[in-house]
Amino acid sequence: MRCEEVRTILEEQPTVEFSPSVRQHLEVCPACAAYAKDWQLVSVGFRELSREPVPEASWGFCARVLRRIAEATAQPEPQLDFLEQVGKRFVYATLTLTLTLLLALMLPSSGPLREPAAVDLYLVQPEAVSARADVALGEEFPSLQDAMPLNFTNGGGRGEQ
Amino acid sequence: MENRKTEIGPEGEWVRRSQNGEPEAFGQLVERYQRRILSLVYHVVRRPAEVEDLVQEIFVKAFMGVRSYSFQASFGTWLSRIAVNHCYDYLRRQRVSRVEYYADLSEGRQRQVETRFEQPNPGQSSHEDQIAARELVAKLLDRAPPDDRIILTLKELDGMSIEETGDILGIKPANVKVRLHRARKRMLEDLKRLREGK
Repeated sequence: MRCEEVRTILEEQPTVEFSPSVRQHLEVCPACAAYAKDWQLVSVGFRELSREPVPEASWGFCARVLRRIAEATAQPEPQLDFLEQVGKRFVYATLTLTLTLLLALMLPSSGPLREPAAVDLYLVQPEAVSARADVALGEEFPSLQDAMPLNFTNGGGRGEQ
Repeated sequence: MENRKTEIGPEGEWVRRSQNGEPEAFGQLVERYQRRILSLVYHVVRRPAEVEDLVQEIFVKAFMGVRSYSFQASFGTWLSRIAVNHCYDYLRRQRVSRVEYYADLSEGRQRQVETRFEQPNPGQSSHEDQIAARELVAKLLDRAPPDDRIILTLKELDGMSIEETGDILGIKPANVKVRLHRARKRMLEDLKRLREGK
């Protein structure tokens, strides 16, 4: 018998008693004898592996499969998808606008975040004018009182003196 | 070949309704075949944490392609074919970490498996030896190329006949025998390399 033939027989029936011709070949062929021994070992391993308990599917397995199928098959229609996109953009734009308006109303009328209001500018104007007058009159009239005509002062003015 | 077997009985009706897009009918098929597919995937992949997810993906894939099922083979065989292809893709993706399973064993256990099978005539009678043989084969399967791993699993672990294996793999029985012989031969060569510490 040829080695290949013997090995095929060994693989098919590793645990069955071999025929005389196979045994005869194994006695004279150390390579096939080693092959037989190894294959016997491996087939024991296979047998033991096949006896290992297979894990059971967990509870609700079928329902989960069906849910995944539903998810996989659910495809939104293109028109609805378009409308949904437009709707979303509209909502986002409205929200942004509302938020901006709210912020504008809530912020204080003055402060570090905002310029002084027009009313404030109007109220401080006389002070600003007086300050400018000081500058314009210079050192000759150190105060506004000095620069006023005589008849505007109380009592003894310069003219009376 | 199992021709047009599924046409008879409620299974054929479930398949037809599934082909018409009724997931509830497909649920009946899931109930019927989940154990078989789970066992097949578990034996091929051998990673309990990932098996259920893979089986779910297989059933989703099967539902998506159920219209292409033409009742030529039994529904179980058709489904097993999808499962095998899915496992094959998975194994190819995982190929970079093929020795992970062995690496998962503790260092002491690794050494135990190694030394036991470095001996010239390992005994096979004791329970410990059987466990060691099991771990050794698990390790060899893990190192085997995906093609070998799948064909050996179908034949040696799931106990399928040559004809069934051929149906699932879509090859002739004569080719199954040739491929099996080559896969076994490669496995034994790998066993030698393992003993030499490679």
